Amino acid sequence: MITEKGNRLLSEMRIGDTGFVVAVAGGKRATKRLADLGLIPGTLVRVVRKTLFSGPMQIEVCGSKFAIGKGLAQKIIMDIND
Amino acid sequence: MTEHNHITIVLAGQGNAGKSSLFNNLTGLHQHIGNWAGKTIEKREGTLFYKGYTIDVLDLPGIYSLTTYSVEEVISREFITHHHPDCVINVVDSTNLERSLIFTLQLLELECPLVLALNMSDLAKKRGIQIDYEKLQSLFNIPVVPTVASRGYGLTNLIDEILINKDKRVSQKVHKYGKEIENCIEQLTALIRGNEFSYPARWVAIKLLEKDKDITRLAGEKQPEIMEKVKELCDHLEDIHGHDSSLVIADERSHLAYQITREIETILAGRKTSLNERLDAITMDKVIGYFVMVLIIGTMFYTVFSFGNWFSGLFDTWSVKLHEWWNTAVGVSTWSSLGWAAIESVVALVQIAFPYILPFYIILYILEDWGYIARISFLMDHLMHKMGIHGKACISFIIGLGCNVPGCLSCRIMESKRERFLTAVLVTLVPCSAVSVIVFGLVGKYVGLLWALGLYVFAMILIFIVGKIASKLMLGEPVELIMPMPDYKAPQMKTVFSQTWDSLKEFVYIAAPIVILSGVFIHAIDLAGWMPAISNVLSPITVNWLGLPAVTGILLIFGVLRKELILVMLAAYLGTTNFSDALSAQQMITLAVVSMFYVPCVATISVLWNEYGWKKAMMVSILEIFFAILLAGIVKRLLVFVF
Repeated sequence: MITEKGNRLLSEMRIGDTGFVVAVAGGKRATKRLADLGLIPGTLVRVVRKTLFSGPMQIEVCGSKFAIGKGLAQKIIMDIND
Repeated sequence: MTEHNHITIVLAGQGNAGKSSLFNNLTGLHQHIGNWAGKTIEKREGTLFYKGYTIDVLDLPGIYSLTTYSVEEVISREFITHHHPDCVINVVDSTNLERSLIFTLQLLELECPLVLALNMSDLAKKRGIQIDYEKLQSLFNIPVVPTVASRGYGLTNLIDEILINKDKRVSQKVHKYGKEIENCIEQLTALIRGNEFSYPARWVAIKLLEKDKDITRLAGEKQPEIMEKVKELCDHLEDIHGHDSSLVIADERSHLAYQITREIETILAGRKTSLNERLDAITMDKVIGYFVMVLIIGTMFYTVFSFGNWFSGLFDTWSVKLHEWWNTAVGVSTWSSLGWAAIESVVALVQIAFPYILPFYIILYILEDWGYIARISFLMDHLMHKMGIHGKACISFIIGLGCNVPGCLSCRIMESKRERFLTAVLVTLVPCSAVSVIVFGLVGKYVGLLWALGLYVFAMILIFIVGKIASKLMLGEPVELIMPMPDYKAPQMKTVFSQTWDSLKEFVYIAAPIVILSGVFIHAIDLAGWMPAISNVLSPITVNWLGLPAVTGILLIFGVLRKELILVMLAAYLGTTNFSDALSAQQMITLAVVSMFYVPCVATISVLWNEYGWKKAMMVSILEIFFAILLAGIVKRLLVFVF
């Protein structure tokens, strides 16, 4: 999957950043798990919190909060709002 | 009682939505737990008597409220089609409307009589979320009732709605997907003979397009001729949308939920930072969060152990009196002493279950209901990942510190088989409260507290290394963490007590038979006078390799029943509790290390057996025996340099 200009991985977003999911570059299982939780292309995501040593991050998706592991966050391509 | 006055309702929805509160408040004390055929998930049943009706309420308690939609959906649909309830109550979290509605849409597709309980409506109001209930009602054409289950608000309205609607077969509004998808669904629905499946035809069509495993298999058996068409339509959808057809539908459903939410929900601006956000700022902080975690868990164990030691002391005097009474009442003979062995096992079980496990569970479930357990998973995810498992496993470890039995049972929250087993194996290495009795009673008391704490650190490092190696050896990709973070809420004591009671019962049911049987068995060997012979056989290991007195061979055998028996019987053998008379510091540490790791106790083995089969249970036990003996021997040799 090619990341266009302005697109970044969810794992690279900073605290407080918001953006829309552009694509999920994972296997079928990962994609399905994310879709089950409402994380699909077009969804607005806000980064609430990150941990030390590149651990998991906390994100907000349509009003609900989730914890997401780094490996999974690296598979989500985002269009970050300015 | 006539059939007419007897109805069954099922609760569906995510754990976080307050399903257990609703269940408890509806049914009060009239509940019981039963295992649901074939699944490792249990169902709860309760009865409610209302306006001349007998209403059976069925609930599937989610485990630790961490299940994802797919799991929840599969369980609910099988359950609903299996039980044919008169009504399904979909418990919805009003503060998370959009996400909850995805599941509501799936329930609607199942075409079962549905009532929506918009729970936690007070919390939604507080956060400035306004919901247009009437609009929602007319959108789906099903009754919608705002509730606050924890305080019992709205529950009579809810039941009234069910009673009013139970004989009316109102047609629920079926939501439509996008044009191409609807087209595919219609083509497929026309081909499906609904009566072959116990599900509605449109639903089967949707699931086939979603490539649902169970339904695809079922259709392959019942109507193999349509499978080609299914493939053709899936390919068609994939051509149009550019990704997998299962995702196309999930996407559309999420999108529908989004649209509906926008239509019925208004969020009033200008709300203050909630208490939840302020709490999270502390408890999930990247530095302070860990201190808070250590403080909370430390306080938890301090409370459990102080209570447990005090309470189990009371039991000791009782048990001596009971034994005296038994000997005078039944007389002293081989049979009576075997009988006593059985009673003693029961007493022992009660002695662990009540003083230690009961308070442990109460505190654990308070933390869980409050929302803190999910925070621990978040904080520990990174470390757990290094062992090839993710943050949720930490919950099992913490439970395992209390007792390995519930620790192993709680591994059910892990997503894949590989992770469940891996976590369970690591949990058996976690020092439980019985092992702590040895570590603190022997090493802590006679060698020094720092040495005892050092052993804990040693155990943690060891678990980490074993985890790392085992995850490399076990094939399969590690699953990444993704889980909902529930908001903090005031714990409901009713829920806490009912969960505690359920877990305590499960512990007793699984552990009791094996503990009693093996208790009698080992006493029989003792009565037959084979013990000295056995300790002689074991002496190359105990005396030569580990440098311990020969009697420890017997102690370690008894320790399989309950690990603290090692210490209790050592005291009985020495005739004193001053262990420093008989053991050197080095021997105490060696004995503590063997006791920590040498084999899971019988109760834990029985859980492993139950959950993973006897082969794996035996394999783990035997490997751990060898491992512990090897390890303790090495530790003994290293300790020479210290003492």
